[in-house]
Amino acid sequence: MWPQVGRRGPSREAQKAPALWRLLFHVLSPRPADDAAALPTPEAQARLVKSALRSQGYPRRALVQLPEDGSQGSRELLLALSWLLARGPLLERLLAQIRVRLGDEMPVCECEVLASPGPPAPRVEADGCVDIRHLQWLMGKLRFGWRNLITSQQEHCALLGKVHSYTRGCHSDRSLGHLSVTEAELLRDPEGGRQLLRRLESENARLEAALEWRRRELVFWQWMDTVLDACPPEASQPTFLPRIPERGAGELELVARELQALQEELQAVVETRRAAWEARVGGWGPGWKATQRASEEAVRQELTALQRAWERGGGLAQPHGPHRLVRSEAGTLGGPGLRATEVIKALRSREACLEAALRQLQGQCRQELARLVGALPGFIWILPPGC
Amino acid sequence: MLPAGCSRRLLAELRDALDACAERQRQLERSLRVSRRLLRVWEPAETPALEPTPGPDTNEEARPPARTPSPQELKELELLTQALEKAVRVRKGLSKAGGRDEAPSRKSRSIVSPATTASVPPRASGQAGRRASETKPPRGVRQTTVPAKGLPELRLLSVGDQTCKARGAQAAKPEPGLRDQEMAPSAAPQAPEAFTLKQKGILLRLPMAFRKAASQNSRLWAQLSSTETGDSMDATTTAKTQFLRKMQSGWPSSRLCAAEVEAEVGRLRKACSLLRQRMGEELTADPVDWMQEYHCLLTLEGLQAIAGQCLHRLQELRAAVMEHQLAPWPEGRLPSAPSSCGGGADSIWSPQLLLYSSTQELQTLASLRLRVAMLDEQIHLEKVLMAELLPLVSTQEPLGPPWLALCRAVHSLLCEGAFRLARRAGRDCRAGLAERGAGGSLRGTEALPAVQGGEGLRTRRGHPPGRGSACFVPLPNSSIFPAGLESPRGIIGAQ
Repeated sequence: MWPQVGRRGPSREAQKAPALWRLLFHVLSPRPADDAAALPTPEAQARLVKSALRSQGYPRRALVQLPEDGSQGSRELLLALSWLLARGPLLERLLAQIRVRLGDEMPVCECEVLASPGPPAPRVEADGCVDIRHLQWLMGKLRFGWRNLITSQQEHCALLGKVHSYTRGCHSDRSLGHLSVTEAELLRDPEGGRQLLRRLESENARLEAALEWRRRELVFWQWMDTVLDACPPEASQPTFLPRIPERGAGELELVARELQALQEELQAVVETRRAAWEARVGGWGPGWKATQRASEEAVRQELTALQRAWERGGGLAQPHGPHRLVRSEAGTLGGPGLRATEVIKALRSREACLEAALRQLQGQCRQELARLVGALPGFIWILPPGC
Repeated sequence: MLPAGCSRRLLAELRDALDACAERQRQLERSLRVSRRLLRVWEPAETPALEPTPGPDTNEEARPPARTPSPQELKELELLTQALEKAVRVRKGLSKAGGRDEAPSRKSRSIVSPATTASVPPRASGQAGRRASETKPPRGVRQTTVPAKGLPELRLLSVGDQTCKARGAQAAKPEPGLRDQEMAPSAAPQAPEAFTLKQKGILLRLPMAFRKAASQNSRLWAQLSSTETGDSMDATTTAKTQFLRKMQSGWPSSRLCAAEVEAEVGRLRKACSLLRQRMGEELTADPVDWMQEYHCLLTLEGLQAIAGQCLHRLQELRAAVMEHQLAPWPEGRLPSAPSSCGGGADSIWSPQLLLYSSTQELQTLASLRLRVAMLDEQIHLEKVLMAELLPLVSTQEPLGPPWLALCRAVHSLLCEGAFRLARRAGRDCRAGLAERGAGGSLRGTEALPAVQGGEGLRTRRGHPPGRGSACFVPLPNSSIFPAGLESPRGIIGAQ
């Protein structure tokens, strides 16, 4: 797909448009569609591409007005593609998504899972009202499923550990030291190994094409400049209404409520503490001022560092993405790489935080229910032990 | 019964969660199958047969007929294997001056693979070229041909063994044998000892073609990830920015496209949780002197200010969103690709390493990760359920049994269910948590999905659910009953 982009000259045949629609669709959908059967029709693809581009803020109105049957518009689509390329490391991101994974990888954060919801099951929307007991049952099923998942995961880790330790010293790459399951599998099953090798080689070809693209990129942008100039100017300001999805608006409200609650809590705590402090410190002399300023400065720095954790581009501090598992007995931990102990520490603190949050929510519910039920005369609310 | 809209939404949420869980389970099962298979005995049928004649005919029926080796041969085989393993150890100690010879891969016969590797060491200096590798086709995974070559090499190891010569039709070039050790005549090519990773795993070697491709792959990725700053790169970047600016066609960018808003809301959500975490830390800290106390106070005030700023920003976003219509999303929007983690590692595209030192550590890591994901989901579900169910309880006035049932169910859904993994003895137990029935006895009942709502499912790590003793479901243990009922007999399942 990608070498074609480089080779595509300034030709504007009409049949380029459908190919460009397809290309944009695949670029914009987060997971490459593995089975062709699940692909939507070309018209649907075109519609999805339009909405995705609009949600990302594509500034030209001409795109929206393109017919979805692919009969025209290749120039506009080319502009759209270039716009996506210019904004971010699109090429690298796509290549990374379809990368051949040679090692046993474990993600250290959960963001990948969130981004890929998996194949959406066909939803039967004709459900009527359900009994709440059905919900309870589903909830129990979910918990059971999670527990199974954890035990399966434990077994998987034990097996991985075995494979890694049994193949110590086999790998040509000294920093890895042992084979991964994929590599051992390729040895066990030569046919699979051949396929893996083929995939690896085609990926290498892709990577080389990408590097070649990088070398020639300037020419492309100069050409796109001319293409843009050749377009008729947009008559008026594009009246794009950014379509915020229903889910997004709900999310906003949730966060707003949480922040509101947090602020109120902080306010209450701060007021009492500040009052207590002032009462104590009221009689202190001016020598106190210097230390006061020092404290203020220290706190300011700490909080700035905290803020950086969620600001744009500040996420580098956290380990991120899939990591290749490498077993190394405690002596040889010299090389580059994340240590499991650090990740465990980070995860534990996150776990504690989340548990606290969950408990707090549950307590809130309990209080609310008690209030609702307790308001009624003639009822006694018996809580289970430990509640 | 719940109203239709509420039902639909809640069902959708729970089904989404169940689907996601099932998907994870499927992927895990797949990996488990592969790993289990690897650790079993490697079946000969899964690899190309040991054909005496290689070539286009990869028909596996060309295998020489099986022959049950005699006890004598078994013993000799054992001796041979031990000797070869010793040779491998010796080889490991030698330098790799002669170049590590790549035995292409293990074969299904344990004889063959040690043979190919063990033949290197004492001849590293002189006979590196004698390896059959050069007679093999240079590319591709060459397992089909190697087994055949292995047979003649077997011959080399045996001193004066005539039987093997007669069998091996594939006469490789007459290579001076490896006479470094007296070895018993090898047994039949059909070795009785099958290959297991446990015993022979360290003898495996990756095929040459694969290694080349893999190293080239990592080299190319490194090149791709490196940010070269040269004139050409600068020119490209300026050209790109200029292009983008032109695309805006002079109109001020509203910057409030849906993706941006979503990203910002995600950031603010992260901010909220980090602020809350920090607040928790400050509140539980125990200041020893007034300096620390003041520090604590200032921190809390600072946190409050930041929370206010975030809230303000959120309100700005909300206003901007309200300005534009909130049309329902058409036919399934393509979910946005950028991750909610902050996407910090944009510049590192190839996977980094994660070093672990023991299986237990790996298991801890994995289970913690799953646990965090689970908690995330639980919190999300809790919020959704709260938002949907609590209003129902308050609005449904009739005090009949349906309402009581509703209250009971809502309580069990929302307030119970501290699903935890009990940690192993000796590890830090989170004693601070309100353990649901921490002193409770194990119940021997089956781990059914809770029909009546008591979800206090527990498990001990490491015990698969199949073992009945470890799993139990406490029966629903909250109840609401009208005052005046004296005996507890009427309470369903309370304990």
